[in-house]
Amino acid sequence: MAGTACFIIVSKNDIPIYEAEVGSAAKKEEASQQHQFILHAALDIVEDLAWTTNAMFLKAVDKFNDLSVSVYVTAGHTRFMLLHDSRNEDGIKSFFQEVQELYIKILLNPLYLPSARIASSHFDTKVRALARKYL
Amino acid sequence: MDPLKSYFGRLLQEEISPMIMVRTTPLAEDACQKNGLNFVELLLPFSSFTKLNVPVRTANDQPYRIQLFKLRLAYACDIHLQNDEVAEEHLKQVVLDANQNILPHLTSEPPELQNLLKSRPRGYIYSWAIISSSDEKKTVLFRLNPIIAPSFGCEDRSNLTSCDFLSFPMESDLCPSWIETFNKELIRTVSFSEHETFDHPVACLFVVSSKDEQPINRFVDLLNTDQFPPLLNDGVMDPKILKHYLVLHDRQDGSPDKVSNILAEMRSTFGSNCKFLCINSAEARSDDGKDVPWMPYGSHILHRDNTARLLSREDINGVRDFMQDLSSNYIIPHMEQKIRILNQQVAATRRGFRNQIKNLWWRKGKEDAPESPDGPTYTFSSIESQIRVLADYAFMLRDYELALSNYRLLSTDYKLDKAWKRYAGVQEMTGLCSFMLDQSRKDSDYCMETAFTTYLKIGSSSQRNASRCGLWWAEMLKARGQYKDAANIYFRISNEEPSLHAAVMLEQASYCYLLSIPPMLRKYGFHLVLSGNRYYISDQRHHAIRAYRNALFVYRENGWSYISDHVHYNVGRWYSFIGVLDLAIKHMLEVLACSHQSLATQNVFLNEFFHVVQSMGKKFEVYNLRLPVINMASLKVFYEDFRTYASPSDVHVSENLWQSLEEELVPSATTSRSNWLDSQMKSSSRRNNDSAVCVVGEAVVVELEFQNPLQVAVPISEISLICSSSLNTPPPDGDFESPYNSDSSFMLSKLDVILETGETKRVEHLKLGIQLEVCPKMEGLLKITGVRWTLSDTVIGYRHFEFDMKGKQKKGRRDLSSLSTNLEFLVIKGLPKLEACIQHLPKKIFTGDLRPLLLELRNQSEFSVKNIKMKISHPRYLIPGNIEELNMDFPKYSENLESAVIKEAPATVIPNTKSFLFSFPDDAKVQGRACLTWPLWFHAGLTGKISLYVSIYYEVESCSNNMTYRILRMHHDLEILPSIDVSFNITPCKSSLHEFFVQMDIVNKTKSDSFSLHQLSSVGNMWEISALPTTLYICPVQTLLAGQALSCFFKLKDCRKNSSNEEHLSGCDLLMVSQDNKEVIDVSKSPMVEFHQFERHHQVKSSKMEAWAWKHSCFISLLHMKIYSEGLSANLTYSLFFLRYDDLLFFLTFLKGSGMLPVSVDSTSLPTVLPSLAEHFLKLFPSSIPSQSTLHIAPQLMVKLWGDLGKVDFILISKMAKTDPVIEPVERPKLLTNHTCHISISSNSPISWQMSGSRMINHDFSASFCEVGFHLRVQNCSDSVVSIRLVTYDVMPGRKHSEMAKLSDSSGNGSGWNDISLVNDIKVVSSVQGNRPKKLSMESQFPFIWCALSSTKLDLQPLSSSEIPLKICLFTPGTYDLSNYELHWELNPPERITGDLKTCTSGTVYGHPFYLTAIQLQH
Repeated sequence: MAGTACFIIVSKNDIPIYEAEVGSAAKKEEASQQHQFILHAALDIVEDLAWTTNAMFLKAVDKFNDLSVSVYVTAGHTRFMLLHDSRNEDGIKSFFQEVQELYIKILLNPLYLPSARIASSHFDTKVRALARKYL
Repeated sequence: MDPLKSYFGRLLQEEISPMIMVRTTPLAEDACQKNGLNFVELLLPFSSFTKLNVPVRTANDQPYRIQLFKLRLAYACDIHLQNDEVAEEHLKQVVLDANQNILPHLTSEPPELQNLLKSRPRGYIYSWAIISSSDEKKTVLFRLNPIIAPSFGCEDRSNLTSCDFLSFPMESDLCPSWIETFNKELIRTVSFSEHETFDHPVACLFVVSSKDEQPINRFVDLLNTDQFPPLLNDGVMDPKILKHYLVLHDRQDGSPDKVSNILAEMRSTFGSNCKFLCINSAEARSDDGKDVPWMPYGSHILHRDNTARLLSREDINGVRDFMQDLSSNYIIPHMEQKIRILNQQVAATRRGFRNQIKNLWWRKGKEDAPESPDGPTYTFSSIESQIRVLADYAFMLRDYELALSNYRLLSTDYKLDKAWKRYAGVQEMTGLCSFMLDQSRKDSDYCMETAFTTYLKIGSSSQRNASRCGLWWAEMLKARGQYKDAANIYFRISNEEPSLHAAVMLEQASYCYLLSIPPMLRKYGFHLVLSGNRYYISDQRHHAIRAYRNALFVYRENGWSYISDHVHYNVGRWYSFIGVLDLAIKHMLEVLACSHQSLATQNVFLNEFFHVVQSMGKKFEVYNLRLPVINMASLKVFYEDFRTYASPSDVHVSENLWQSLEEELVPSATTSRSNWLDSQMKSSSRRNNDSAVCVVGEAVVVELEFQNPLQVAVPISEISLICSSSLNTPPPDGDFESPYNSDSSFMLSKLDVILETGETKRVEHLKLGIQLEVCPKMEGLLKITGVRWTLSDTVIGYRHFEFDMKGKQKKGRRDLSSLSTNLEFLVIKGLPKLEACIQHLPKKIFTGDLRPLLLELRNQSEFSVKNIKMKISHPRYLIPGNIEELNMDFPKYSENLESAVIKEAPATVIPNTKSFLFSFPDDAKVQGRACLTWPLWFHAGLTGKISLYVSIYYEVESCSNNMTYRILRMHHDLEILPSIDVSFNITPCKSSLHEFFVQMDIVNKTKSDSFSLHQLSSVGNMWEISALPTTLYICPVQTLLAGQALSCFFKLKDCRKNSSNEEHLSGCDLLMVSQDNKEVIDVSKSPMVEFHQFERHHQVKSSKMEAWAWKHSCFISLLHMKIYSEGLSANLTYSLFFLRYDDLLFFLTFLKGSGMLPVSVDSTSLPTVLPSLAEHFLKLFPSSIPSQSTLHIAPQLMVKLWGDLGKVDFILISKMAKTDPVIEPVERPKLLTNHTCHISISSNSPISWQMSGSRMINHDFSASFCEVGFHLRVQNCSDSVVSIRLVTYDVMPGRKHSEMAKLSDSSGNGSGWNDISLVNDIKVVSSVQGNRPKKLSMESQFPFIWCALSSTKLDLQPLSSSEIPLKICLFTPGTYDLSNYELHWELNPPERITGDLKTCTSGTVYGHPFYLTAIQLQH
């Protein structure tokens, strides 16, 4: 399991709809805002990269000091972004794919408005379980 | 683009240019200082030449021309490596200088994206925004920026001429100019390093003043090498440099004549390199006129008062000519020559195959030498140094090809020598040469990368060199348009530099992101924030704020909460540090609602905010303060116009409900005008109708939900509404509104609360509905505009109610289409207002509870009201009493005193409507400040929850307003608990035609309460209750414990024949108590009788359904079964009869849908289909029929006896038995009355009969047989004609026995009142063993025979009776049972029910036992 891992889902209009610190490292007060900054800035890179490839998994697109940002772009241009300090690319890919499954289930909920914040605790638990499994 | 013309190209040409070392005598300096300048400063403006136009020939034979040229000048004492601390201080000063300029900007609005990119044409931002695919991107980029377009592979420039997007933001538009200066200064800190030669002086300029004594000797002094910089003395560079001698003449000291002598002397001593310069020829001027000739050149020096005062135009021209002469005639030729010499040397020693091999071999031998960080030391005479000098000179003379080849040559040598610093320096220059030659980018990038990393590898000593290299590299990338890469380089530099430098670097990185195509705004913001953070660390708060502020627009209004919190919080904090408190608060406000942050952070935010606000020293008003969160959708407005409310909860009742209740109460609105004149009058009042009306002195209540998003408790005080009012006095000229002092025209309520924290995560803890009031005190217009509150005694927040969602959020008393009009009130003159309450009305009541209540009407105003009327929604539960009952003691009052005259029941109360209108007597007025009480009676009729609505209408006396009446609305929710459940079953008695047996089943349905049964009354004078002869009381116990069930039996006697047909409501009572309290309660008295009427009315419906149910008993019992199996109680199934008719249909439709029902059913076809349905169900559920409902399985007819006359009403009166301490004395029911109405007498035959005649005869059988006559009185109890056939048998047919046995078997094992048949009655009441003929006695002998007719037939009209004479012959004495006859009856039902019940309209009944004893007459 990664020391630091911050997972975030960004809707197609660039608003975070789900955030989770899934790393095992003790959370620092400063960390959450720093992670947001890095991930937010990485969106610029994603914008560039997303249109150059057919792949959904963009691998590590950006890094800041020793933290890398791996991104997975769904067909609806929702971006799964993971800030991590590990180098486990396969695990991250599997993690993203499984999360997409979950995300699709959320989308299938007729009461969920696309691009709204994901408040489902079930989703949260599942994502954290996946993070433990793959990261 | 041509790299030479780029900014970086020019920068390199300026920075890497020949260095001139200057040495002056003090007197020469003095002469310059008269102008406020030193000598270098004097020459500096003329040291760069834009149009030098000098031919240059280096190693190549082809000469070329140099246009742009620059000389650098420095005092000899400055030519050394800078001390680190001094360098730091110097750089810091640059930043601090910039500080002064930015302060005014900080208080203005932060820049917007548009401003940042303002140099771009309008369409620009739009264009990059729509770029999506990479191909598209190329074309758009090409359109935007032809300069960098080729780098993306777009070479077609054909359509560029017409393109509007040519202008492109230059970095200088964004980047503050001081950053450029900073960069230059940073680069200069590593000047005069050993490993590079371009900083080494090319020439030395010696300056002596003409005032100096013995100028030649002075020159000799200056030539003393001891004073020279260490570079020359340490052998790093060749001490034999070009020397130039200058005599400086101050005109003020006299004419320049004597200078020529000195010059001649110098020439003879030093050669031709001697010059003469005149200054200070101008007149000293006191005014600082604009015509100082120096002005255009002096921009680089701080302007002082005496600057260049004494310099005339000729002086300046002289200086310029001197510099031009120096560079073109001395410096450049000298460098050319040196290049040629060095080139020859290098060619001799290093070029060619032999030299290469030699060199390699030689270097290989040095490999064993110990490695020092700087590599081996090289003197100026070493070949490596010479190559370096050659390359640098070539670079400075723009012969980049030559420079590049030499740098490359050198780099391998240094690499082999492991002289890393020199290697890095050479790589750096290689990269720059590649750039200047516009060669492959890859090469130059690679070289710069190598240089950068190599410098870093060496360690701290060359860190600054790495920075310089990085800066150049970044500039190089920027010149090529690779802004993103440049930003990366800046970021890398920032990692190596102290925080202040890093901050500047990061800031530059951010601008690079902004300039990249498309602009990377988020990166821009992020790097600005990083930079601001570093600025803050290095105590540059102004710069920190500037950086953060610039980043703000990137983070505005998006969901990245932590980011925006961080930015706003820090900007706010830093503003407070520099004392700009208003802006500090403005930013702090943004972070207040930080529910996502941790508790500690929330505390920090709040404390900091309050601290800033307190240091502000005054209360602060903030529009739309974020704390607490106000749920605008929860806004509700309550006000009272002609409708007033007894309690706030009454307001929530739907207006429609009230209106339907008040239909008869309120005078209909006279909206129709009688003629056209009326329209004029109405138009004035119509205006008022648009807004709501409220009354002076009566508060308008606004309910609003406040919410604390934080985990910190937030004290909020002085919550109040913001209102405006205008006095509304229609003056003659029609001007309606005049502004009025708002302080006195209304009164606002103020509320202090502490919003608790959201720790529990339960929503209701967070939210707090707050009721705010405004009480108008003057007539006019009142407008509620918003709400204000004080947060923690420091900040006043206010918020206006916004009405963009018209009609959506409004739920007030009147649903107007727009809320804006709803918050505008027309205040009218004070009116009387009644307040009412019903006293002693408990929330929970047992069923049957009968109690007096007191309605209290209180008039708080001065005026009196009249014509009071009241409407009650459920008269079954609540009725008004009489004023006389006010002081009576209940229930004593109801007890039947002997002296009391039985009052004929007023049959006037006809409960035909659902609600009940009651007019108070005309004399009932409520005077001002008076109180009116009126008795009410309450009776809890039915179990369940009920809402009682009471509207009281009253008119205003002496009214001058439009409003003539008002309505007071009251609303009470009650829960009626089950108490005693009573059911009756009445069956005809066989021994008498006028007597009936009644079974009364009583169940106590409470959980813990006991009741004592007090009295049972039958209502009306038609019936008389009497106990059965064997018991004294009809009921074995008096107290019914919780859950206890009880069956009582008693007799009912029909007394109709005795009295007139007129109906009385007095009744017959049967006391059920045996002990003390023997008072009989008169059920014909006021409350009881009215309630009974209502009960009757409500139970009619049920009895009708019941009758219907009797007829279709088979089917209904199946329904019973169904519902039993679903676990519902019997009580509910009973209610099904009259409440769930539609459910029945639904049930049938459901069965049809599931394929269990062959026919479809609707409400019209139901009666006709039901009989066949019954059979169908029998087939369908034969096995699952529970025992409870077996009685009704066999299809049989239950006839409604006696028609409507056969209805009996009972009232069971009971009392609460024990004092339960839980229930308050007031709440304890005193009396419970259970009204059970319309109980039909049921039987399975429509007729009843009775044999009459003598029971005992004396006869002398020896003389003759005996003839005895009897009468059989047959009565038709049904409401249709019955034809009866009487058959007598001498011998009982055998087949009848079995049938009869079967019948009685099927009904024998039932339980509950449904099962009570005649058989059981007789069993209980007497010892007679059923109605079965005694087989034994009949079969053994035939002691008598029927004479006369064996069969009689007659028709009986409804409810009539007739007598059939019978006669028997007896032959012997004995006791005879005369029951062997049969009555066959056939029902001729009225037309309406023919057809559906054919099979059930006839039957046979068997004779009742009648014993006759014949005794032998003894003579």
